[in-house]
Amino acid sequence: MKEVLRFENVSMHYHSKQGETVAVKDMNFSVRQGEFVAIIGPSGCGKTTLLSLAAGLLTPTEGKVVNDGVSFGYMLQKDELFPWRTIEKNIFLPLEIKRTNTPENKKRAVELAEKYGLKQFLKSYPSSLSGGMRQRAALIRTLALNPDVLLLDEPFSALDYQTRLSVCDDVYNIIMSEKKTTLLITHDISEAISVADRIFVLSKRPATVLAEHTVSFKETEPLKRRENEQFSKWFEVLWGELNA
Amino acid sequence: MKNAEYTREHLLYLKGLKRKTVFVQFLRVATLLLLLGFWELAATLEWVNPFITSSPSRIAKTIVDLYESGSLFYHVGTTLWETLAGFAIAVILGVLIALLLWWSDLLRRVLEPYIVVLNALPKIALGPLIIIWCGTGSKAIVFMTVIIGLIVCILNMLNGFLATDENKILLLKSMGATKLQILSKLVIPSALPNFISMLKINVGMAWIGSIMGEYIVSKAGIGYLIVYGGQVFKLDLVMSAVFILCVLAAAMYAAVALLEKRLIKNQR
Repeated sequence: MKEVLRFENVSMHYHSKQGETVAVKDMNFSVRQGEFVAIIGPSGCGKTTLLSLAAGLLTPTEGKVVNDGVSFGYMLQKDELFPWRTIEKNIFLPLEIKRTNTPENKKRAVELAEKYGLKQFLKSYPSSLSGGMRQRAALIRTLALNPDVLLLDEPFSALDYQTRLSVCDDVYNIIMSEKKTTLLITHDISEAISVADRIFVLSKRPATVLAEHTVSFKETEPLKRRENEQFSKWFEVLWGELNA
Repeated sequence: MKNAEYTREHLLYLKGLKRKTVFVQFLRVATLLLLLGFWELAATLEWVNPFITSSPSRIAKTIVDLYESGSLFYHVGTTLWETLAGFAIAVILGVLIALLLWWSDLLRRVLEPYIVVLNALPKIALGPLIIIWCGTGSKAIVFMTVIIGLIVCILNMLNGFLATDENKILLLKSMGATKLQILSKLVIPSALPNFISMLKINVGMAWIGSIMGEYIVSKAGIGYLIVYGGQVFKLDLVMSAVFILCVLAAAMYAAVALLEKRLIKNQR
């Protein structure tokens, strides 16, 4: 499969008055087309830096991020829907930014929203939606530009446990049916196991890749994976590596 | 939900809420009437000297006299015009300067100490300068109103702009937004509540500015009536002018509150 994103010996340094922080060191990994890749690491290990590097919002101090010709869609911890815009207008936001808010593109975005159960909320404001529905709207907003790769920055961690499980399922199914390549960054081990094809384990700061695993389950859906006996084995392995 | 879907308990609860609101309204009016009545009584029975304290009936008579002599609307109009002009100029200029300071970090860092000093400076100290620069007409008073409102407006709006959610900025950047797009799509709309609260503060500031300006230089206006009334010991006139001021300031505040209701319907 074609690689859509590759980190080659990437290092990232931050400068501040207090000194220099090395957030990412000698990072090597790649994401292939159609894959669901999860990166797990301890809190504060520079996960968000990694996504910003992948999306090209930051330039690495050393090394190279190869992502030629690939477009990215970013999804953050909180839905970050604009409260003064209706759901529909929120979904149109990326189109407005790219100045591609043509009738066809808008129609496509609305159809996407309707397909995934947001039809009745299109004219509502975010404040009247539940946390799960808001996160779904945020995903549709990300998909509105039809990006090649989705970058998910702990997209479920602001939700309560119950909602998190079902939204995770929800988002996974939407991503699968839209056939998107996805890079998920999280500190939640079980979340990573329940969705990913491949998992990279990061060290504490400065972050570097400690291990790579290819995860395969008979079932694909997150909630069913969680019931599989392999699940807890994977959990033990990853837990051990994270806390080494 | 419609009324029909509510239980009896909930309807009773709603009724109770409404009754309480009506009661509060009633008490407000009653307080005013009681105060006015007591004031009137105290003046009529000469518990206090009505020459010094005036009384509601004397205030009413003074206002009617002003109206009949044709000078009421002249004075009210003068002050109202000065206040509104000063208010509008301060708000427009203040928002523009705040935008500029948001846009340029360098400019903001350079100008910060000057703004802080100007904010702390009692603007009335500039009175003599203003007279020399702008003369003794309305221009001087509008100028006074502007400098009193301007700094408050800049500081409030800048704080609002700078408090924009970093994550939302990151989100827009990830979509490839330009700085101008971040400003127009996010920074300005999210500072709308700041804009409204700044307007409310500036209503008060504008009246301070115009009345203070009229104290220093004026031949007409409500501030002029107050100063003149004080000088010739016509305290009825002073009280009447203050009363008119109360009504005008309340009306302007109400207008801003109405604007707020129309602009902020759906946020949170």
